[in-house]
Amino acid sequence: MVCSFRHERKFSPKLSRIMVIKEDKHGLDYPVLCHQCDPCPSVAACPQSALTRTELGIIHVDKEACTGCGACVDTCTFNAVGLNGSSKPIICDLCGGEPACVEKCPTAALTFEEGGTVDRPEEVFRELLRRWGIRG
Amino acid sequence: MADLHGYAGKVLRIDLTEKKTRVSRLERDLAVGFLGGRGFNSRRLYDEVGPGVDPLGPHNKLMFATGPLVGTMFPTASRFNVSARSPLTGILGDSNAGGHFAPELKFAGYDQVILEGRSERPIYIYINDGEVEFRDATHLTGRDVYETDEMIRSDLADRRVRTAVVGPAAEKGVMYAGIYVNLMRAAGRTGMGTVMASKGVKALAVRGSGSIEVADPVEFERLVEEIEAEIYDHEQYWFRRQMGTTRILMMANLLGFLPTRHYTSGVFECAREVSGERLAEEYNVKGRGCFACNVSCSRFYVVRQGEFAGLFGEGPEYEALGSFTSRVGNGDLGVALKANDMCNRLGLDAITTGECISWAMELYEKGLLKKREADGLDLSWGNGEAILTLIEKIARREGFGDILADGSRAAARKLGRGLDLTMQVKGLDIIMADPRGLKGYGLGFAVASRGGDHLRSEPFIELMDDPQRGLEMLGVPEATLRLAYRGKGKLVSYFEDWCAVIDALEPCKNIMENMEILTFDMAAKVIGAVTGLRMSASEARRVGERIVNIERAFDAREGITRRDDTLPRRFREETLPEGPSRGIVFEQEPMLDEYYTERGWDLDTGIPTRRVLEGLDLGYVADELARLRRLPA
Repeated sequence: MVCSFRHERKFSPKLSRIMVIKEDKHGLDYPVLCHQCDPCPSVAACPQSALTRTELGIIHVDKEACTGCGACVDTCTFNAVGLNGSSKPIICDLCGGEPACVEKCPTAALTFEEGGTVDRPEEVFRELLRRWGIRG
Repeated sequence: MADLHGYAGKVLRIDLTEKKTRVSRLERDLAVGFLGGRGFNSRRLYDEVGPGVDPLGPHNKLMFATGPLVGTMFPTASRFNVSARSPLTGILGDSNAGGHFAPELKFAGYDQVILEGRSERPIYIYINDGEVEFRDATHLTGRDVYETDEMIRSDLADRRVRTAVVGPAAEKGVMYAGIYVNLMRAAGRTGMGTVMASKGVKALAVRGSGSIEVADPVEFERLVEEIEAEIYDHEQYWFRRQMGTTRILMMANLLGFLPTRHYTSGVFECAREVSGERLAEEYNVKGRGCFACNVSCSRFYVVRQGEFAGLFGEGPEYEALGSFTSRVGNGDLGVALKANDMCNRLGLDAITTGECISWAMELYEKGLLKKREADGLDLSWGNGEAILTLIEKIARREGFGDILADGSRAAARKLGRGLDLTMQVKGLDIIMADPRGLKGYGLGFAVASRGGDHLRSEPFIELMDDPQRGLEMLGVPEATLRLAYRGKGKLVSYFEDWCAVIDALEPCKNIMENMEILTFDMAAKVIGAVTGLRMSASEARRVGERIVNIERAFDAREGITRRDDTLPRRFREETLPEGPSRGIVFEQEPMLDEYYTERGWDLDTGIPTRRVLEGLDLGYVADELARLRRLPA
């Protein structure tokens, strides 16, 4: 909730750049946000070239050029792009280097680091269930 | 409502008979006078569900309400109350749960949802922002909570929908069936699930895309940071993270108030084997939290060995753990975890289920209940197989389970014996704390507006046994000594008002009250920053007092008086045989006198006077009680 609050001054999962997939039956929780893919399929898909990938990997949105067509939402392979009330893309900007979600995370499940690879949620889930001894 | 922030701003009424919906603006005077959540429901129940309405008939109303903090990042603000006239007790019914359902309801645009009438065919209700759909639930009939949740997700092709579900026990008319969110979080008490099922509703499914704004974002963020720091720095923080409420079991045993073998002892010889400590060491694999919580006190467990290997899930909480261990004399943790899991899936309140089984076991052990009357079950203390079989029988209303399915009070009446052994107040079975060792809790059980439990007052502070606290808080040092009597009327009325304010704002009472975070002073500041309402600490307390009084008036209208504010005979006449709470009974009447005096209620009837009601802007309530000849002269 801190994400939508810091960016939009409102509390709303829909306006948040990070959201959590929950699977209550198996006790699983996984955050979904921009993985800064290189190359980024959403950047490639934008017909107006309104999205650019900065040197740091952050996806920059040119709000004037954007027409709100949603091509970026459809092409993001992590479902990490949403549209706000005025149909502009919502993509994690790492809060300019001090991510609010990391600051607020009570269990230090989120950290802010350079590089590294990101596993897909289904792989993480499978590994956790194996470690806990749950079949299925 | 335009001038008040924090609220979603709308009330949704659903007429199940006509399949019509009506959306209205949240009334400003309701928000100002009752704040939210439990306050909204209690006020509207008083106004709209008159005396004598059949709890399972179409004229009862089932109300879900959440509070102004919910949906924001205020720590633990995730909860809702669900209220109706209770089929278990016949008085005010009300229960509260966390998880992710309440914030979703607010993002969909509603502070309160009211179910009226009754649907002829089974349905579930899909609320997607402004759209409300009545969807067929024929295929969900008889399905357990887990199956129902999964089938609704598939049906709507939406993994993120938040559901509130009733299980098969509710459909069978078990009088203490709950409503379940996030699969395992129960609004378990007083049979709210039974009411929902009686209306033909199997579930609510909610999706919301809206947002919540606060009146003063800068001040709000500052208060949130202050509160977060207070929580992180609290001495109980790590215990709560690791054990949640199960940490209480060993403490209760140590102080000798752990209900054991149906309150015949306060000390359980197997406590360590069934403790929160053992769960943390051997079973728990991960912490889980409700929406916006920075404590995440829920634990995901996996059973790796023994008869129940392969069982996994969230919880249990202390009440369920104790209900299926010491209360029934069971030292096998696996049985307790299985019993808790069954209650979740079947949709039963674990506390009342535990009491019904525990009561039957005491009758059996005393020779007052024959094996053949109990379907041939051996109901000796701690018989795990019998416990699990009875849970299933209760949920299906089969054989002896059918007798227990109406609650312990009704079961005793049906059997024609054992009524004085039922551990209930006003029909609601009391919790896992022996009042002989906790006088303030006991007074709280006696006077609570929904019957015998602790969540209306929870004066945890007497556990500290620190007279300095009593002196500072209430001017009476004994008030905060757990075995003392003096000052308990003050203590309980203070804590009742406090709990009512927290239940209205809807963060977690377990953190905000138990850890002394959201004091009246802090609540007033938070209310200001979130809603824009300027309120002093004493005005905040007055809201709590107003809620307590209108609930008492609801019960008085149903015929409740001081006579009903009584604990079971055992606590008043028998002493505990061992442990630090041994050798003493619970002396009720002087504490009741002090409590009514503190509240300004009539000493003979325990009913609020006109002067008190008018002072709380509830003059119309006094008028109605006078018309019904309930108002004290």
